[in-house]
Amino acid sequence: MMIIAQIILTIFLPLLMIGIIRKLKALFQNRTGPNLFQPYFNLFKLLKKNQVISQDSSFVFIISPIISLGLVIFLSFLLPWLPFNKAVFESNIFLVVYLLALLRFLTIISAIDTGSPFSSFSTSKEVTFAVLLEPAVILSFLALAIFYKNTNLFYIFSSNQTVTLNQIPVFILFAMSLFLTSIVEFSRAPVDDPNTHLELTMIHEAMILENSGLNLAIVEYTYSLKLLLFLFLMSSALAHCLLIWWHLSVFAMTCLTVFIVFLLLILLSFIEVFTVKLSFNKIPNFIAYALTFSFLAVFSAIVNRS
Amino acid sequence: MNIIDFFSLTGSCFAILMLGSVSIRLNLWLYAIQTFFMALSTLSESFKFSNSELAIISLVIIIIKAFFIPIFLNFVIEKIKVKSDSGLIFPVPIGMHLGILFLGFSNLFTLEILKSLPEIHHSGNITAGISLLFTGMLFMLLRKIAVSQIIGFLTLENGIFLLGVSITHSMPLIIDLGVMLDILVAIMICGLFIFKISSSFEHIDVTQLNELTES
Amino acid sequence: MSIILSLCLIPLLSIFLIQILPRYTWGTLKVTVLLIWLEFIVQVLTLYPLLVNKIAPIPVIDGFMVDKIAILFILLTTLIMAACFSHSYWFFSHEFKKNNSISLSQLRIFNVISIMFYLSMIFVYCLDNLGYLWIDIELTTILSAGLVYFNRTKHALEATWKYFVICSVGIAFALLGTTLIYASSQLHGCHGSLNVSYLINQTQHLDLNLFKFGFIFCLLGYGTKAGIFPLHSWLPDAHSEAPAPASAMLSACLLNCALFAILRLNSIACLIIANMASLIIWIGCITILAASLFLLRQYGIKRLWAYSSIENVGLMLVSIGLNQPWLFFLLAFNHSLVKSALFLLSGNIMQITNSKELKDISGLIEFSPVMAILLVLSSLAITGTPPFGNFMAEIILLSQLLNLNFIYPFILIAIALTISFIAVLTHVGKITVGKPKINYIQLNNFNYSLIPVLLVFLSLIAGFFFTNKLFIGMN
Repeated sequence: MMIIAQIILTIFLPLLMIGIIRKLKALFQNRTGPNLFQPYFNLFKLLKKNQVISQDSSFVFIISPIISLGLVIFLSFLLPWLPFNKAVFESNIFLVVYLLALLRFLTIISAIDTGSPFSSFSTSKEVTFAVLLEPAVILSFLALAIFYKNTNLFYIFSSNQTVTLNQIPVFILFAMSLFLTSIVEFSRAPVDDPNTHLELTMIHEAMILENSGLNLAIVEYTYSLKLLLFLFLMSSALAHCLLIWWHLSVFAMTCLTVFIVFLLLILLSFIEVFTVKLSFNKIPNFIAYALTFSFLAVFSAIVNRS
Repeated sequence: MNIIDFFSLTGSCFAILMLGSVSIRLNLWLYAIQTFFMALSTLSESFKFSNSELAIISLVIIIIKAFFIPIFLNFVIEKIKVKSDSGLIFPVPIGMHLGILFLGFSNLFTLEILKSLPEIHHSGNITAGISLLFTGMLFMLLRKIAVSQIIGFLTLENGIFLLGVSITHSMPLIIDLGVMLDILVAIMICGLFIFKISSSFEHIDVTQLNELTES
Repeated sequence: MSIILSLCLIPLLSIFLIQILPRYTWGTLKVTVLLIWLEFIVQVLTLYPLLVNKIAPIPVIDGFMVDKIAILFILLTTLIMAACFSHSYWFFSHEFKKNNSISLSQLRIFNVISIMFYLSMIFVYCLDNLGYLWIDIELTTILSAGLVYFNRTKHALEATWKYFVICSVGIAFALLGTTLIYASSQLHGCHGSLNVSYLINQTQHLDLNLFKFGFIFCLLGYGTKAGIFPLHSWLPDAHSEAPAPASAMLSACLLNCALFAILRLNSIACLIIANMASLIIWIGCITILAASLFLLRQYGIKRLWAYSSIENVGLMLVSIGLNQPWLFFLLAFNHSLVKSALFLLSGNIMQITNSKELKDISGLIEFSPVMAILLVLSSLAITGTPPFGNFMAEIILLSQLLNLNFIYPFILIAIALTISFIAVLTHVGKITVGKPKINYIQLNNFNYSLIPVLLVFLSLIAGFFFTNKLFIGMN
């Protein structure tokens, strides 16, 4: 029952979330904005279209989006992003971190494979940021592991843990670090503007410039599913902090998590509306903040560990 | 960890974030939040020990150091139209990471101190105090605008106060009030001097005040 | 209570007088000067009986205490302040004639601030509570910043900013040290206190580690205010940019205050911590040596005396390290007299030559023989030449060092004193002999040399009669 609910959410939520972000942005800018379900229509449109594949590209270009999709779906079973999802597999923090790295690797090789100058260009940017970002991701997950002396994420996020004041800073700082990380990881503002199509400045969009049709549909779906996983992970970390005051049932926790995700989406679109894209040499400074929060998370985990 | 440590450590985290921001107005905000958390920690300690002197001094801190001084400094920077302070020596984020390094060191120091003084309980409070001290010093060293120097000095003073609250059972009220008054007057005078500096030197970069060095 | 009243009533009265009078005139300044001299006489009358009586520390109110050494310092401070005030009358009237940039209202502010500054310095010596002491010393910093900024020039502004920020940060560390000392008095059972008179009797209950840290932080903090070596950078700037009477006040009175705070702390520390003496003595030695090396290459006349002050601070610190308050007073007394004379004289010389650069000043002996002779005499006195008081004090200091087996400090100090003797006299020689420049201005010799003559004469008397007697009597 639970697993069915999880699968349904995995299928339907990601694109809805993209729709919500666009709608919120439009509302902030006093526009009507697109329909909430516009991303679904776009997906169907893409599925109907033909694929154009560059003659210079190899099988890697075709196969890597599909593998990526598989990996993200696998990740959705590994991460405790919903209060009710059960551990189907043994979920290890290091497995998660390296799967994320593998995912990025696949995106990169598929982008390089076409030989398009723009995608190579943005790939090099992406790799630069990825290198800087990697410690932040690893350390923020590691902070949780240090605190609980356990690398199993389902153990860490299980709702029958007693939550005291000791956990709260770790969880909050983990969530903050993850939020800043995901802004870079998903190329949202102020690191990258997902709406522009100016080839020299954009990062994510230029990497998938060559994809079309089914291929592009898979890539976009993968992107939004990954964003969903990250946001839900953040929100379940934040929701966990509230357990210190109220002990909630699983259903209430789920509602709370969804609500916090909604708040995060508002925050994300707010940032996108009200900030200016950073220049390229300022982005390492931005990543440094993510790193700072993960350092602080590790520090508080070490200090508060019983 | 209890609520007292939680508040004071949160304050020291804000101080570290202050090391990483370039905008002076943001720095003032972060300073105010940090002072506010420090005062909250003192206030909750005063409830715990039902110590009315501590409650009074924390309220005074909230009024003077968390509200009045940031507002005054904000007034100063608006008058002289200075917005940002790019760091000295290091890029700004490295300073922030150094601050975290010092936070770690201060935790080690605290463990050393607690070994010799088993009577003291609030380890987090001491850690936050030492870390604020380091942060304030780093801030003064790594920044070059006069206003930043004042913010660094205030942070340092916060650290001293927090350390004092945690290792003594609160200083006598009259001394704390006297110290507060002295610092308030000193900050006001610093503000006046900043006006003078900006009008006669046309900048407030402290590192370029070097006309008096040996020639 | 009557002591406190006798200390602060007349200065408060004069502040009130200056503020209440609708117009500030030279007459007001004259009245203030007279009031300060009156204050000196009142103090001598009230405090002299206490000095002669056998009862040592006199507790006044809780947190206030006057002991014999404090009384001596109070009298010294009042004497120097009165002298500086009297001289400032002539000094400022010339400045007033020379340029129109200073106004009477500026002088009024100077007058009020310096009397308040004087009061805050007097209270440093009466305070028993370390917390109050901190507050008071921070107050002296705040008030003296107003004196340094008298000229309202760019250079004065820069000097004031450096002085203010460096001293405030240094003093913040002294606050940390005070807090730690308070904590150390609280830990082992007894109730906490910051009163020195209480702590001296409770040394066995103090927590050793905390007290040690507290003392070192206080030493650093108050040391910054006194200008010990690596933290001295503000001192030459502030002392050279202030007007001459203010420089004399800063150098001759304020440095004593900061050192007195260290003395008070050391009176507890020397009972508990075994090797604290050698730490302070070494800090003092390094300060003396560094200052004497800085003296060799100087370009400003007041900066020269500022570095000489740093050197003397080192000497006083050594005497504190030896835990000999009377020797400390002796050094401070002679230094204050001669140094204030020197600063006042160099103020005059700067008015004559219209420059503060050493290279612009020459041939003073031909132009103004009285000033030149006074300058040579007082620079001889400050470098410790017999028969002046400084010589006696330094000889006693060095012999004490030998007696207590501090061989290396002894050698270092002897070398440094020699270097500074050579350096100061070279510079003074260049000033006095040679060919005077044409554009020098004639000053009224009598008015301008009255106070320096008095001060140097006092130092001479101290060297002949007073020093030996005092020292033997007190030990």
